[in-house]
Amino acid sequence: MPPLHIGLLGAGGIARAHLPGWLELGARVGVHTQDGSAEKLAAEYAARGHDVTAVPTLPELLADCRAVDICTPTPTHKDLALAAIAAGRHVVCEKPLALTVADAEDIAAAADAAGVRLHPAHVVRYFPAYAAMRDAVVRAELGAVAVLRFTRGGARPQWAPWFGDPAQSGGVIMDLMVHDIDIARWVAGDVVRVHARTRGVEHATGAPAGVVTATAVLTHASGAVSHVSGLWGLPDQRFRTTFRIAGADGLLCHDSTAVPGFRITAQGERAANEGIPSSPMTESPYLSELREFAASWDDPAVRPRVSARDGIEAVRIARAAVESSRTGRAVELTTAPAAPPGPAPAPAAANVEPTR
Amino acid sequence: MKVAVLSFAHVHAAAYLTLLRDLPGVEVIGSDPDTALAAPGETRGRAFAEGHGVRYAETYEDAFAWGPDAVIVCSENARHRPLVELAAAHRVDVLCEKPLATTVADGEAMVAACRAAGVRLAVAFPVRFSPAYAAVKRAVAAGDTGRVLTVSGANNGHMPTRARRWFADPELAGGGALMDHTVHIADLLDDLFAAHAVEVYAQTNNLLYEGEVTAETSGLVTVVYDNDTVATIDCSWSHPRSHPAWGGLEMTLVGEHATLEMDAFDQKVHGHSERHGRALELPFGVDLDAAMLRAFLYGPGPDGMAVADGEGGLRTLRIVAAAYASARTGAPVAVAGT
Repeated sequence: MPPLHIGLLGAGGIARAHLPGWLELGARVGVHTQDGSAEKLAAEYAARGHDVTAVPTLPELLADCRAVDICTPTPTHKDLALAAIAAGRHVVCEKPLALTVADAEDIAAAADAAGVRLHPAHVVRYFPAYAAMRDAVVRAELGAVAVLRFTRGGARPQWAPWFGDPAQSGGVIMDLMVHDIDIARWVAGDVVRVHARTRGVEHATGAPAGVVTATAVLTHASGAVSHVSGLWGLPDQRFRTTFRIAGADGLLCHDSTAVPGFRITAQGERAANEGIPSSPMTESPYLSELREFAASWDDPAVRPRVSARDGIEAVRIARAAVESSRTGRAVELTTAPAAPPGPAPAPAAANVEPTR
Repeated sequence: MKVAVLSFAHVHAAAYLTLLRDLPGVEVIGSDPDTALAAPGETRGRAFAEGHGVRYAETYEDAFAWGPDAVIVCSENARHRPLVELAAAHRVDVLCEKPLATTVADGEAMVAACRAAGVRLAVAFPVRFSPAYAAVKRAVAAGDTGRVLTVSGANNGHMPTRARRWFADPELAGGGALMDHTVHIADLLDDLFAAHAVEVYAQTNNLLYEGEVTAETSGLVTVVYDNDTVATIDCSWSHPRSHPAWGGLEMTLVGEHATLEMDAFDQKVHGHSERHGRALELPFGVDLDAAMLRAFLYGPGPDGMAVADGEGGLRTLRIVAAAYASARTGAPVAVAGT
């Protein structure tokens, strides 16, 4: 097995979520950023004895790694991914894969042509509650899935200004709700119609920035319908995700704040709102995700539960929701998705093997 | 105070009969002559009244001849209109089960008939009497939420056809879950915002109870109001039949300055029954039906909440009518009459 040497691009919130996962997998990690934050992150980890180094230039990073993990703002994904693919590196790319379907497809086509793997990091598929729910659906525990509801909300991201600019982040639909859009499609299959509305302050300018929220209704090819709602909320909005999946034979519900396994009930002062969700009771979903991605590089039989096509379709649906929200019309996704540039297309959820 | 319950078609008739029977100072009589469309095995008519310890009138005319001060109409949705018009003809105030009617034309005729006769037409939306909703209303009215940006509501229950088959008969019910369950949350928002719905988008399916009924059993309805609030309502009959509860009603409001959640039926002690081999729930919340009946008969209580009137019932019905049009076409539909 070749040594696991990862080129990490970015040193922000999601890079800090991925880095411990890579180290747990025994990786050597080079970090590159353009603002000096790589040096800070590398120094922090090196001081604790980890093999993390800052790499001054992108070519140097690409010259000496097995795979690249792109944890940078969304608009930079395409150029960085294409550079990594050109260097023959596998690519892990933070969601959304890109801001447009065309860009997402370009990245996937390039990876396919170069024979490298492209892993859109839709990490919610690795959150144990979501994985357990999807396994139950695949086992037909609920019968035909009919109505799905997903909510995801937290304090509006303020740690990096690009989140507040819809031109860069895609806004609350592309950046936040794309998680549940992906899960809805994973559970109930392809989406043929989207209707969405966005309300509140889309451009975050003030401090604290105003609330922005969106609601989307997805109609699946199976006839199932999904309600996806997202909230970048007030500074004290606790991060929380919920789902409710109703089928002919049963119902599954989850509220991330209701089942922490462990909670601090008093600590003398109110804790700051957390940004990246974490659960001390289960393995980090980021670690689970990265392990599955890395395993597929050595063993072609390992097919990660999220494919390049999944990343493209999530962008396609989210893009349609943004378009619907802009125009006020429902958007039809009638054309069958183009032949995927990746390996075999993922079949509809009901026919897929369980995730584990 | 004399109150007649007209028809026992609706599943709520039992609760109304019992509550009215036990209300001090209230005399109640029931009448349920039109039972030809009931399914085999459904208890109706005199047996139903006697089973609830309530006097029975063989015909609606007999019930009106008894001289009621008010009547409650619990017929099938499509048969509300003749009974409401009968009440108007007898100049008796009427509380009509929801939805007001199955067509906007019927609803308009009912409102006009009651107005012309000078009788009160009220519509049975008990959830507006929930203390949880009252707290939401206070917060919004006081400006604590700021402008309300979005509302996510869910009114889910099991399909009520085992008690009363007509609920999924489009002829009698006007549809399925979309007709049955959209209006409760639509009524709350009608009361909360005093804004008009301008556009509705809806998607439905019948994947739940497929093969058992032809009516839609699932639905998601997005309503845009002229105050720019967007509400999405899950009206599905997606609550399992074997669950100890019938279902529930929840709502999340995202405002500029606060996010609120309410659950009209979450006040329960939860446990598990070894004897019955299933979860045990002991609701301890306010009886919303009782609060609604008191407000209908005696006027608003200390919190000032009044029963929904016919105009309000008509506004929520227009939303449902637009939702059906949208579900058919797959496109947003403007709400008529606004």
